[in-house]
Amino acid sequence: MNTPSNWEQPTDVKLVTSCKQAARLVSLSFERKLTAREALAMRLHLAMCKTCTFYSRQIKALRGIFVRHEEFLSNTPPSDCECLSHETKQKIKRALDAS
Amino acid sequence: MKPDDKNPFPRQKLSAPSTWVDQHGDYLFRYAMMRLRNRDLAENLVQETFLAALSGKKSFGGRSAERTWMVGILKHKIIDHYRKDFRERPVTDLQTFQIEEEQTIDQFYDAMDNPKKYPKDWMPDPAAVLHSKEFWETLHGCMEYLPKRTAHAFAMRELDDRDTTEICKELGISPTNLWVMLHRARLQLRECLERNWFDKKK
Repeated sequence: MNTPSNWEQPTDVKLVTSCKQAARLVSLSFERKLTAREALAMRLHLAMCKTCTFYSRQIKALRGIFVRHEEFLSNTPPSDCECLSHETKQKIKRALDAS
Repeated sequence: MKPDDKNPFPRQKLSAPSTWVDQHGDYLFRYAMMRLRNRDLAENLVQETFLAALSGKKSFGGRSAERTWMVGILKHKIIDHYRKDFRERPVTDLQTFQIEEEQTIDQFYDAMDNPKKYPKDWMPDPAAVLHSKEFWETLHGCMEYLPKRTAHAFAMRELDDRDTTEICKELGISPTNLWVMLHRARLQLRECLERNWFDKKK
């Protein structure tokens, strides 16, 4: 059986990385400071690889959007399926009255 | 701020509990649904939130808006639920789980050998997306395909913007466990959103 990898240790990266390693470094850069070698490997790869550049930009932009989801909740009225049902509202009101 | 506001930080007062459900019910429900994707569970936690707010009325300091205060209570209830999902399984299971997550990550790259699967050239437009019901429904649908615990970890990190160390402590997992789950979630959600949202918007 495989053993789980340990992401906490600095990765002993070659400066020429695969897309798989590069994407892992992009993710890792959100969670901890990359070592100088890791950061260099990531930048070198992104400079050469168009698809990974798309990937890394999209992931960053999506993070910025996810974290703002409360703006969406506040500004957009819920559709019917996203509401508490009438019955549930009555049930909760009764529970509030009773306590 | 309006110029006639005398006090920029007025103490807020709580409204009558009988009006809470109509004022905040749907908001709290959608907030919970985004993190749990389970109607029954979300409804229950919203009810518990109102009841906790009622019995803890005195703890409302008035420094934040009523809704923010209630969201805070709901947040705790959601995290309690996440914690239960993580605690129910022993640590060895978490190791197997991590291996499975890493295998899924590998499958993503194997699939990427197919040029059709390469990340395509698009950028999300926050202005458009932040008001699009369809986008959030798509994200919702995409999150359903993640393993439950991976989705929980993703929600705490990317929706709540919690600190990694804090999340690990709350869920009782190692940073590596968490990072693998987050990486997998990012890969999968990006691809799912590309296929079901950004590709179709062109």
